[in-house]
Amino acid sequence: MQHGYWIRSKPIYHSLAWQYKAQAHVLLASGEGGRSVLRLYQQRLPDQPVTVLYLPAENEDYSAPLVTVVGTSLQVFPDARELWQRFDQVLQQSRMGTRLYAAGTESFLWQATTLAVKHGVLNADVMREQPASLARPVYCVHCKTTTHGVTTNIAVCAGCQRHLFVRDHFSRRLGAYMGLMIDAEDPGNVPDAEEVYP
Amino acid sequence: MNNLAYKHETFRDDYTYRNSPDAIRRFPFPFAEDHYMYSVNIEQHQPGAKGSIVEHAFDIDEHYVSECEDKLITLGQDKGRYAALPHMMDAQWDFLELSMESLSRDYPHLFTLTKDGERWTWRNGPLGIEDSFVFGDAATLPLEPFEYMGRQVQGDFVLLDQREGTLFADAGFITSQADWSLAFDVGMSWHEWHGPVPQVEKMGIMDRALKFLMSLQQGNPVRRLNWTMTINPRLDTSPEHFPEWGPDKLKVTAQNAGEKAHLRVELQTMFRLPRSNAILFSIRCYLISLEELATYPRWAKRFHRVLRDLHPDLLEYKGIKVYHEAVLAWLSQHDDGAELALGAHPE
Ligand code: HEM
Repeated sequence: MQHGYWIRSKPIYHSLAWQYKAQAHVLLASGEGGRSVLRLYQQRLPDQPVTVLYLPAENEDYSAPLVTVVGTSLQVFPDARELWQRFDQVLQQSRMGTRLYAAGTESFLWQATTLAVKHGVLNADVMREQPASLARPVYCVHCKTTTHGVTTNIAVCAGCQRHLFVRDHFSRRLGAYMGLMIDAEDPGNVPDAEEVYP
Repeated sequence: MNNLAYKHETFRDDYTYRNSPDAIRRFPFPFAEDHYMYSVNIEQHQPGAKGSIVEHAFDIDEHYVSECEDKLITLGQDKGRYAALPHMMDAQWDFLELSMESLSRDYPHLFTLTKDGERWTWRNGPLGIEDSFVFGDAATLPLEPFEYMGRQVQGDFVLLDQREGTLFADAGFITSQADWSLAFDVGMSWHEWHGPVPQVEKMGIMDRALKFLMSLQQGNPVRRLNWTMTINPRLDTSPEHFPEWGPDKLKVTAQNAGEKAHLRVELQTMFRLPRSNAILFSIRCYLISLEELATYPRWAKRFHRVLRDLHPDLLEYKGIKVYHEAVLAWLSQHDDGAELALGAHPE
């Protein structure tokens, strides 16, 4: 948090819940997001067709329970590129009234949203859940590199090695928070980083 | 301003930028009272008094050539200062038309526009530019229309698309910003890009301002002033280049504040555009050192009081906190405490 005030660009996430008034449902999940899908399947299932696209992550692979619970609606992908290609196709074929759900890291959620918006879906019509980790993608405003999985309030930029202060200001297009060189005024004066986004 | 003597000056490195007595006199001092807080300070952008900064739609002044040169330096260092999402092409042509027509109408001795059907010829005297092109055909211009004219008008520009009940900053030409990033903000909605601004949420200011802008009419532009402070007369106070200008903030003392510390005022104007229904937001930056400001004693007195009593969140947000004391010490020498009549006028 910054100066104790809320920055309105910081997205707020909710637990996934079926939107029963729909023509079809498309779920998109990565890593820990697999658990969110499993949780969603504990709610009363909708009558309309469901498609689940899942990308396992290292140490976060829920494919086995998903196969059991979701069955033939599930497609598991070996890498991100194939998942996004498939999602793009699904969006092209989808009809009005298709509900979209996404669960995963913040970069994943906003990559999914950006692609959906390109196909004419409104930002607000995508339901997003951020499971487990609060780790942040951080965009370095100086060298424009995004560093993933940042759990601390100050992080070293993967691109230019500057120490970045992680702001709450969030860009949905970039799917990342803004990182600003913390010792720009007084070079070398870098406070200790604290883990605040575990 | 009719016969402009352009100054050759710099907004970086040796910082030779200065204001002439004329420029000081017409400076848009933003404080009519001893106290300042954010408000919905929007008024009609009607042509103002002769010689004033609001005489014309876009103000061209003695810094024109040097400021345009500084834009090119900044753009050369960082291409991300210009960005336009693909659906903004109509708005780009709207901007080109509005800026060319305004400048050639208001400063005919400097700029001329001739039209032969869709074939337009644009001459910019001070910058030595002459181009013929087909209006609406981007391939006939050396740059995209927005970037082409963005380089030839003082100030920064944002083109806003209106949809989903809000405004989106979907294109920008930003080289003289007060610490915000176009590359980061482009594509954001009104409440997102204004997210970092303190205090305004609870005062309902942003909701009211947005509502007002959503119903902005073509032919009825509006304007407002915003202000902050900058150390050294630097236009490019971007977060991108913060490592270059950040250290200067710690070098301000009570002795050098008069020379180093500048009041930075933005004349912000908003125009509804005819083809695209987009809004043009222009941000014209005026810089004045405290020494120049003190040419008019009531300005120095007033600014001293405003800064002394400014809300701590605003001091923090505007980045003034680290040199606040030094600046107050300098200004206090110019404040005898005498009561000042309402108004922002110089004398
Ligand atoms: C439609 C065009 C507008 C655009 C593109 C725009 C953009 C911005 C941006 C980018 C910032 C900096 C935020 C940051 O810290 O990252 C800002 C600040 C601000 N804006 Fe706007 N703005 C617009 C119109 C307005 C209007 C009409 C108001 C009227 C109340 C307003 C009030 C403010 C205020 C109070 C600040 C804080 C400024 C400071 O303390 O220096 N804006 N604006």
